[in-house]
Order: sequence, then C-alpha cells, then structure tokens
Amino acid sequence: MSKVSSGVMGSEKTNPLLAPDLLAQLERMELVSRKIFRGRMKGERRSQRKGQSVEFADFRNYVAGDDLRFIDWNMYARLDKLFLKLFMEEEDLHFYALIDGSRSMEFGEPSKFLYAKQLAAALGYIGLCRADRVRIERLDSAATTDAPTLRGKANLWRMVQYLESLECGNDCSLTEAIKAFSLRNTGKGILVLITDLMDKSGYENALRYLVARNLDVYLIHVLSQPEIDPDITGDLRLLDCEDGDHAEISVSQRLIDRYRQTLAAYIEQARDFCARRGIVYMMTSTERPVDRLVSRYLRQRGLVR
Amino acid sequence: MLGPLGWVILGLIPPLILMLYFLKLKRTPLEVPSTYLWTKTIEDLHVNSIWQRLRNSLLLLLQLLLALLLILACLGPGCRGEKLLGNRFIFLIDQSASMAAVDLPDGETRLEFAKREVSKLIDSMGPEDTAMVISFSNQANVQQSYTRNRALLKRKVSAIKQTQRSSDISEALVAASGLANPGRTSDRETARDVQVADALSARLFVFSDGAVTAVPNFSLGNLIPEYRPIGGLDVPYNVGITAFAINDDRDTTSLQAFAQIQNFDDQDHAVDVELYVDGEIHDVQTDFTVEAGDLRGISFDLGALLEGLEQTLPVRLEIKSPDVYEIDNVAFGVVQPPEQIRVLLVTRNNPYLKFVFETDLLARRARFEVQEPRFLETKEYAEKATLGRYDLVLFDQCVPPIMPESNTVFFGSVPPGGQWSAMEKQFPTLVIDTDNTHPVMFNVQMGNVLIVESTPVSGPLGNVPLMESTSGVLMAVGPRDGYEDLVLGFSILEYTPDGEEIYNSDWPNHLSFPLFIQNIVTSLGNGGSFNEAEGTQPGGLVRIKPKLPMKKITIRNPLGQDANLSARAERQFVYGKTEMTGIYQVLEPDSNRQEQMFAINLLDSRESDLSVRKKLEIGYEEIAGTVETVPEFKQYWTWLVFVSLFVLVIEWFIYNRRVFI
Repeated sequence: MSKVSSGVMGSEKTNPLLAPDLLAQLERMELVSRKIFRGRMKGERRSQRKGQSVEFADFRNYVAGDDLRFIDWNMYARLDKLFLKLFMEEEDLHFYALIDGSRSMEFGEPSKFLYAKQLAAALGYIGLCRADRVRIERLDSAATTDAPTLRGKANLWRMVQYLESLECGNDCSLTEAIKAFSLRNTGKGILVLITDLMDKSGYENALRYLVARNLDVYLIHVLSQPEIDPDITGDLRLLDCEDGDHAEISVSQRLIDRYRQTLAAYIEQARDFCARRGIVYMMTSTERPVDRLVSRYLRQRGLVR
Repeated sequence: MLGPLGWVILGLIPPLILMLYFLKLKRTPLEVPSTYLWTKTIEDLHVNSIWQRLRNSLLLLLQLLLALLLILACLGPGCRGEKLLGNRFIFLIDQSASMAAVDLPDGETRLEFAKREVSKLIDSMGPEDTAMVISFSNQANVQQSYTRNRALLKRKVSAIKQTQRSSDISEALVAASGLANPGRTSDRETARDVQVADALSARLFVFSDGAVTAVPNFSLGNLIPEYRPIGGLDVPYNVGITAFAINDDRDTTSLQAFAQIQNFDDQDHAVDVELYVDGEIHDVQTDFTVEAGDLRGISFDLGALLEGLEQTLPVRLEIKSPDVYEIDNVAFGVVQPPEQIRVLLVTRNNPYLKFVFETDLLARRARFEVQEPRFLETKEYAEKATLGRYDLVLFDQCVPPIMPESNTVFFGSVPPGGQWSAMEKQFPTLVIDTDNTHPVMFNVQMGNVLIVESTPVSGPLGNVPLMESTSGVLMAVGPRDGYEDLVLGFSILEYTPDGEEIYNSDWPNHLSFPLFIQNIVTSLGNGGSFNEAEGTQPGGLVRIKPKLPMKKITIRNPLGQDANLSARAERQFVYGKTEMTGIYQVLEPDSNRQEQMFAINLLDSRESDLSVRKKLEIGYEEIAGTVETVPEFKQYWTWLVFVSLFVLVIEWFIYNRRVFI
C-alpha cells in the first residue's frame, strides 16, 4: 500500500491524482449500480443469480439432478423433506470511466483534463478496491485502445501510470468517440463520462449510443471557473482552440449576463436530456475538490456509497 | 470666436470618433475552450451588429459624450445672470470727462468698461428685441436708433469716444423717451388730451458714474430705468484743479494766477503744482497738501509779465502727482498783451462822461475820442464805423445814420432801424429794479439815483432788461449781428432848443456812475483785461473777433490740427470744435501769424469728483444703482471641461478597474 501511494504521490507532486488521505476514504466506498448486471467473473457483489456465496437467499424444493451439496440437511432432519438452499451469487462489476481528451479540456486551473483524470482515478480506485473491472479510457475514435482493464487493488499503480500517460489534444467528436467505444466494449456496467460537452456537433447522439448499450451512465459535466463566470473585458476576438473558429465580442455587462443565461440554459438542457434517458447528470466546476465531489455529491447521486 | 474652418473641424470630431471606433477595433485575441456558447450568446446580436456594438460600448458612448462636452465648451456657452425682459432697450452711455478715470481693477477706463457691459447686454438680447444706443456728455448723441441688428449696435457702442465734456443727462433722456412717451395732443371737442401714438415702453439702462446733474423736470413715463453705476467701489485717488484764473491787480500791472485745488479722496494728499508760461516752467509749489475731501486755493505771482509783452502767452498749471483722472490735473490760461480799446463818445457837451473817461483806470484801458453829433454825418465816421475801428461807441442823445461795427451805448435815444422804440416821456421816474447779475450792472446801485424824465424803451427779440421803472424798462441790452446795443431810456444832461443844459438825473454824483461806465468799457468794449480772450468748457462755442477784418482764419487745436473758419458776420467767427481742453491758436490763414489764443478748460468739480453715485435722480424718481447685478457673463465652459474631466476619469476607471463590465 505504501509503495503504491508513494508512487502516486511521486508521480505528480504538485497536484497528485490521488491524495493519500483520499485513498483511505475511497477504500471504504463502493460503486453502486442502479441496475443489476451480470458479471463474468466472481466478484464481491451480489448478483441476481443465485450461486455460490455465503449469503443465503432462499430455499426451494429439491428436484432430481440438483447438486446434492446445496441440500439443507438440517431441514431434512427436521421436516424429512429435501430442500435446496439457494445462495446469492457474488459477481464483479464493469466500471468504465471515459475522459474527454479534446483540447478544450486543457483549460482551467487546474485544467479540466487533470480534474477529469483525478475523478476517474478516484472512482477507479473504488472499483479496484471492490474487485470490479475498471477500465478508464480517453475518448478516441480509434477502433482499438491501449487502455488496460484492471481489477484488484494491486493494479492501482498501473491505473495511475496509465492515467498519467494520457494527454490532452485528441480532437474527435464526442459522437464518434462514443460510437467507437460502444463498438469496442460490449459489457454492461457503470459508465462515467467526464466531459465538458463543448462539442459543436452536439452531445445528444453520443448519449443515445450509451443509452442503447443499456449502461448505467453517469455524465459528469466539468467546467472551469472562467467558463462559468467569465472574467474578461474589452473588445475581444475569441478563438476556438479546437476548430479555430472565432467570435468577436465587445464585452459588456449585458453580454456577460446573456452568456450566463446561455450557459444556464445549456446546462438545463443537458440535465433534462439526461433525466429523460435515465442518465445521471452532474455539473461540476474544477474548483470543487475531487474528494468532496466523490464523497458528497456522487454519494448523493447514488454512484458510490 | 471660431472661424468657419474651426466649426467644420469641431463638427467632424464625433463622426471621426465613431469611424475610429469601428476601424480601430484591434480586438485582443483570446483563446477559449470553445466559442460554442459565445456564438450562441451573440447569435441574435449579429442581426444588427453595428448598433449592438454601439449599444454595448459604454466606452464609446463615454468618448462621444466627452467629445460633445468639449465641443460645447469650445462654443463658449454662457448665460447672463439675468434675463432681459421686454422687447425694447435703450442704452444710455455716459461719455463725459469723468468716464475717462482709470479706477477699475484691470486698468481700463470707466467708458471702456461701460461699453463692454453694454456689448454683453446686446449679446443677450433676443432675436426680436430692438435696442437703441445713446451716448451723452453735456449733449446727447443718438449713436444708433432702434434696430434689431446686434452687430450694428455693438459696432456703434464700440465707436463711442471719450469726451472731455461735462455731463448732462437730460437731453439724452428726452431723446430716449421719444417712443416710450409719445407726445399728447388735446382734443378740443372733448376737452381731453389724447396720446398721439401708442406708448412703447422700453427698458432704459443708464451706464454712468452718476456724476450728472439731477434732472428734476423729467418724467420717465413708460421708461423702466435701470442704473448701472460704473467705477471702482472705493473712492479713487483724485486731486484736481477745479478753478483757474489769471487776474491783474487793478492798480498795478502785475499779474496773478489763482487756482483752486480740490482733493476728492478720503485721504490727505500732498501734490506738486507747476506753472508753465509759454511752455517754460515759471513757478513750482511742492508738497501742497490738501486735506481729504477739502479744497485749497493756490496763487502764483506772474509778476510784471505784461510789461513789454507783445505776444500772447499760453499759461499751463499742472499737478505733477499722477492720479486716476488726468483731465483735471491740467488747467490752461492765456495772457494777452494789454491793449487799449478805442472808445468814441458822441456828445454835445457832457462833462460827466468826459470826466469819467479821464480817470486813471479808464485812461489806461481805453483810448478815448470825443466827437460832436455832427461828426456822424461825415465820411470819416462812415468809414471808421463800417471798418470797425471802434470797439465801443457811446451816443449821447444822438442817432447815427449807420450803426457802427461795434458795440454801442445809447443815452436818451434809440438805435435806428426800427427794432428799438421809445415810449412817450414819463414823469416822474422811479427805479424799482436793476439786474445786477449782468456784467454791465455789476455793483451798480441805483436805489438813491434820481431820474426826472424818461422814455421807457423796448428792444428787439432777445433783449435783456437791466433797469426797470414804474413806467417801463429804462435800460436794456439787445443783440445786433453779433454786437450788443445798450440803450438807456433817459439822459443825464438834456439840452433845451436854445442850448441850455438841464440836469435830468443826479446819477453822475453817485459812485455807481463811474462803476457803470467802467463796466461798459469792460464788458461791452472788451477792454476789461489782458486775458479777455474768450474761453469756454469743452464742447462750447467760442466767438472770435480778430483785431483786423478778415474773411477767414485758421484755428489750431492743442493737437496741432488746423481748421479753417469763414467769417459769419464782419469780423465774427464762431468755433465749435472745442472738444479738447488746452490752448487753441487763432492764426491768419495765409501768413500763419498768430493772432490770438484762447483756452478751453473743463474745471468742473462734479466731473472731478470720481466717487460713484449710488443713485440717480431722474424726475421724482431715485434710481438706485444695481452694482451687484451688473451683468456678469457666466462662463459655463469651465464647468463643461470639469464634467469632461469627470467623464474621462469614469472612462478610465471603467476601463481599468472593470467594475462594471
């Protein structure tokens, strides 16, 4: 553990992906899915399937061919009838974290991309602790990815290493990237999409792909403080960092107010879109610490407990 | 204030700012995560982006406001502290001598200040207002009658010149009241008097220092007067000469100059007084102290200046200590060589008259010739009379065929020509009144004089009765072509047809008789004194009588400018351009030989008193001066510049502190 944490600490001194005290906090949490999924491997969570675990589920009458090991002999002694003891099967959970790697995520202090990585790391660590299958990807339209699928606490180091290797500057549309992701991964589970939703082609189709996959989707909308409350003056020529588009503005209080209204409407629209489709939407600012976001806001939203 | 080019440049500034604003826009590039939201934000603003830009640019609006304020400031807006009400204005501007005083803070004369004030008032007139400008000294000049042309009014105001005359506002008031108080005429049928025209009331602004005579007999009527006292608030320092005379001692030939020096200040002052004769300093009195508000006489002995004097000499008395009012620091006089006048006495044998002319004083002053009445018939008389060889002719009970070109005195007869007439003989004659103000009757007491018979006389138009009896006028003086005829309606000694002498009066036994004859010689014979050359105040008329008959003379004024005069009557010239104080020379036109001189002096203590009168008396009204509301042109451009500065500060603040944007 100490080795791992030192690695985590050493990698990014100024702004570590995971702070040691956060790690301790995260170890006590687990990821919660509102849907019961069927894992491939035995995990640490109950499955709907009855199976081999220690947790009792129910009894049923013995029928020919049942495994004799599950007969409740105590019941037979008392009632002289054969009952089969059913146990809850414990399964693992697929946890996907998708980080938007577009250039717009570079903005903010700390940058949205770093924030997204921190959040993904925190959630991923929770998953690792609970022996879930954790896969963190940067949104990419490529057919394949080098993102590892991790399981078990021991893989924290790999996860952190991978996250640190991720870099911003991959300009592909959200829809394309989600589509590629859907094609690559077929498993069910929890998906946390961390993005700033700054895609001029829109985010709706991308989310529809996810909904179609029947994943438990969480959308973390990350915005930097200058985006929420712009602190600019004068006559400006705004340059879009992604597509080089520009907008000329003369800043006035009225314009700022109008921008805020537009942003609020945009957020409201996204929230509404998500709510209709069973996606949990959450807007956060990079100013909000990751630990608070996880321990408080995401717990409220039911992603962790 | 600004030429057309200036206006064009001023007018171009706001469009220029707008243009620069659009052209300038050196927009600062700023990289943002996405222009998505911004584009959405300004989407609707793109529709009419120019106006949106304008609307959104507080800084531009502030700049435009700043430029506008500065332009307004350049226009020099201002307004008068008072508004001129009414439509007709009359500006009365005092141009008398006292307005030349330099007692205002910025070193301008009172007249200049008054002119400036009037110009300001003219500026504040509405487009429909009409105004009239009258300047006055001891006479009124209508500089400009009613007009709406403000430029013309201002030009006329600025053309008003300083005079050295005294002040008399009454003529100006009459000129001003013309339209305001139209004449009235009486309607016989209704026994009412009606106005001949509608009265047009006007506001009358009097710009004066108030040193004017009170005008008791004037009704302002529809004139609304406003008196603007002009002058410093403190009593200015002025010590001046208010009287000056050169007199001879009656018994000797020595001359003395007398002057009266008056201090109008509220502090004592010591002045140096210098007397110049013929341009050279003659006498000086240093540190002549005059107490505050007091006056003191000063005399200079000119000594035996008259002895051997052949040329007329100019005399100048000067106060050497400078003060705010210079006109009264100098007084002028003239000393003429003594000259005996030629007197002709035509009498049968009047020993009293002959006797009087033999006294020392008269013998010194007059060359005396006695002739019998038959002399009047001779050619010699006709020649001498028409050539004006005599200065004075006395006719004792005789009538000349032609009147001489000189002043005359008639005892017991009337001049020919029908203008004079005598009544029937009256008896007895009691003198009841004499006019002792006339120079002829000066000091002549007739109370105890007996007159037996008299023929009361009546003279031509303009005659002045000098002695009246119970039965009529006994003595009168009347004009004749520039000469004067003194007619006595009684004789002293009468003759019976057989040549016997009868005394008609005991006047010769009284002291008053030689005095009377002396007065006649002095006043009518112009033989009174050495400096009889007639002087007057500035603006007055001077009658000049050269010693020899001339058709033309040249008058040289103190500035050295010559003016030619033609004779009005034989040997009579009238000169009216006596605007300046000083010595005027009378020259023969061809030879430029100096004939005589005369002095023009103001010597007016009212003009010299420079204290500003608080009120003006016109008729029964007392018009208090409105010193504090002497219209100040309130300049607002400084305020505009202040506001502009404030706007600039706000702009700067907004731009730098980003408080608002």
